Amino acid sequence: MKFQKDIFLQKAFSKNLIEKKNFFEKHIHLIISHHYKNSPYYKNYLDKIGYNIDCINNIRDIPFIPVRLFKELDLLSINKRDIFKTLLSSGTSSSTLSKIYLDKSNALNQIKVLQKIFNELIGNSRFPMLVIDKQANNQNRNNFNASTAAINGFSIFAKSINYLLDKDGNINYEFLKKFLNNNYNEKFLIFGFTSNIYNNLIMGLDPKKIDLNLFQNGLLIHGGGWKKLEEKKISSKNFNSLLKKKLNIKFIKNYYGLVEQIGSIFFECKCGYFIPSNFSEVIIRDENLNQCKKGQKGFIQLLSLLPTSYPGHSILTEDIGEIIDDKNCNCYGAGTRFIVHGRLKNAELRGCSNI
Amino acid sequence: MSRIEYLIGKKAKLNVCLSPFDNQVIEFLDDLSKNINLVNKKGFTDVQAFSFFCRKKNILKLKSKHDNENSVRFGLGILFHITPSNIPTNFAYSLIFGLISGNSNIVKVPSKQFEEIDLICKSINKVLKKKKFSKIKQMIVIVKYEKTDEWTKKFSLISDGRLIWGGDKTIHEIKKFETKAKTIDIPFSDRYSVSILNSEKFMKLSKIETLNSIKNFYNDTYAVDQNACSSPHLILWNGKFFNESKKKFWENLDILVRKKYEPPSISVIDNSSRLVADLMENKNIKSFKKFNKSLYVISIKSLKNESLIKKTKWGFFYECNIKDLNEIRFITNKKLQTITYFGFSKKYLKSFFKENNFNGIDRVVPFGQGLNINLIWDGYNLDKILSREIEII
Repeated sequence: MKFQKDIFLQKAFSKNLIEKKNFFEKHIHLIISHHYKNSPYYKNYLDKIGYNIDCINNIRDIPFIPVRLFKELDLLSINKRDIFKTLLSSGTSSSTLSKIYLDKSNALNQIKVLQKIFNELIGNSRFPMLVIDKQANNQNRNNFNASTAAINGFSIFAKSINYLLDKDGNINYEFLKKFLNNNYNEKFLIFGFTSNIYNNLIMGLDPKKIDLNLFQNGLLIHGGGWKKLEEKKISSKNFNSLLKKKLNIKFIKNYYGLVEQIGSIFFECKCGYFIPSNFSEVIIRDENLNQCKKGQKGFIQLLSLLPTSYPGHSILTEDIGEIIDDKNCNCYGAGTRFIVHGRLKNAELRGCSNI
Repeated sequence: MSRIEYLIGKKAKLNVCLSPFDNQVIEFLDDLSKNINLVNKKGFTDVQAFSFFCRKKNILKLKSKHDNENSVRFGLGILFHITPSNIPTNFAYSLIFGLISGNSNIVKVPSKQFEEIDLICKSINKVLKKKKFSKIKQMIVIVKYEKTDEWTKKFSLISDGRLIWGGDKTIHEIKKFETKAKTIDIPFSDRYSVSILNSEKFMKLSKIETLNSIKNFYNDTYAVDQNACSSPHLILWNGKFFNESKKKFWENLDILVRKKYEPPSISVIDNSSRLVADLMENKNIKSFKKFNKSLYVISIKSLKNESLIKKTKWGFFYECNIKDLNEIRFITNKKLQTITYFGFSKKYLKSFFKENNFNGIDRVVPFGQGLNINLIWDGYNLDKILSREIEII
């Protein structure tokens, strides 16, 4: 996309709020026009609500697409023959899959931005990576689910990818021993879903079978939600202190992101907040879908400058979050800080469908 | 075997088979009705409605309408009821339809906890303790189990009839379980419903009458999150005063919904998703209005494009003007269950539907009676279907 060329010269975070705001607003409007011209569904939507693409509106007035529609409709802004990769995500409870169509340039942009953010927050080199999962088998090269998409995304920072679990989901101690013996001296990445980290590293690892001191240089990155851990009453603080206590790991970063907006990832800062990069923004909406005040919980809407092959630049999620006004937080970028409270509960309906 | 909880009748023999409308059953239901009134201290309206249904007076009325004293009829034997997880009192109606038709019953209630279910079961247990109901006691088993196949398999094999509530998905699942060759299935599949409104009559209503009809409409829809098969989601306007009556109708409903309806947060996402999807793909939209987070109205151009009939919930309505009631034919198919009406006479509707013989449509009821369940449901005459007749010549 021509109009996007210069955006990747921008660094991931900027300390100047006005600069960030101007940059984001200019580009998000270019993207809106792009999708309006290229996605008939998106055009119908904007026409029917009377949105004028020629005005630079406040970002809170930018129309959003509820995340579920990526399951229901084929949303794309490219010719079908230009599809390079399709990401499939099941979300939580539903059996239908979300379909994200990527062309080559969109896929590349995702990697570029992910790399920028990663380099700024974690490190500039590539590391050996220990994945707390088993290797997915029979992978279709063009279709990915959320977990493989995340592993693949992060694998660009890996010198080597090593799976902790065998095909039955058990810890492969032989393999782990070998990996740690080779790498414990220097920094290495540990990556996995939050619940997998909890089950395998915090609960599962048997100190009789492996020397737990070998983990302390690990850079642990985890995400995917707290839903399963909430049931066990494990908070983010508990989680970090358990990891520190057991494995003496000091570098722990929680990430948040949607498979519908890969690349625009958020990492938790030292104060415990997610901070949008220059390429993304977040708005919290109340039950009437109006913008919430700071400190008020609501639905998370995510905006991103990356999606060009599909209209995923403004998505209303089913996650609940809150914008935090903490003037004392001086972590990396200027701008919005938010926390995520988790996925909205699928409410019980009254009525006669479903048993 | 996996865990099962018997709410009622662990030792019931399920070996009793009676004639439809047996006096013992009628007595039992009347006692049950009285007992429920005593224990329903929180005043659940759906429990109250059920107890009202069980009164002797009502059952005798049904008897006079349905029973033919000249025929020799008995229940089929054992019925297995698979009841839906979302209308708490549905299991109780299903059970008493089984009893009225003379059958022994195994009723699977949802594993989710409902106070209404506990309350009704407590009452049934209490009444069954009376000696005079020792026979009825053998006819009722109420169980609760998580989705496991073992019990469904076992109960399917011993049943003579299965009442499968809960929609198409459940029906397909249950049908996989083998039964005896002669066993019959009564499936209650996914259905939807519409309303017809006479705008001229509606404009003539006084303020109080307006509020009443709005309240009736609310009870058919919002009381069950618009998620029952018989809750309308498409409103058809007939008569001369389209615009005035719509304004009057929706604005009054808006006020009531804001005051009374408290949906869960997920409804916000559901409704917003439905709206945006429609704006993107539905070419049949004329205009739309969001009155509040639980009242969306989409005006469509014509009924000819059937694909717009999507079952909605949480107060999401489609509406369309029709010049002639006959335009209903564009949307009648086997999935259309109930038409709730306002401003038409019963006599007129009777001759209209007789004349037209539409495919589909099992019920035509006035506003406010959409959810009233009865012995004839989804087009099945249950007391007949659930009993067998001995031919004596």
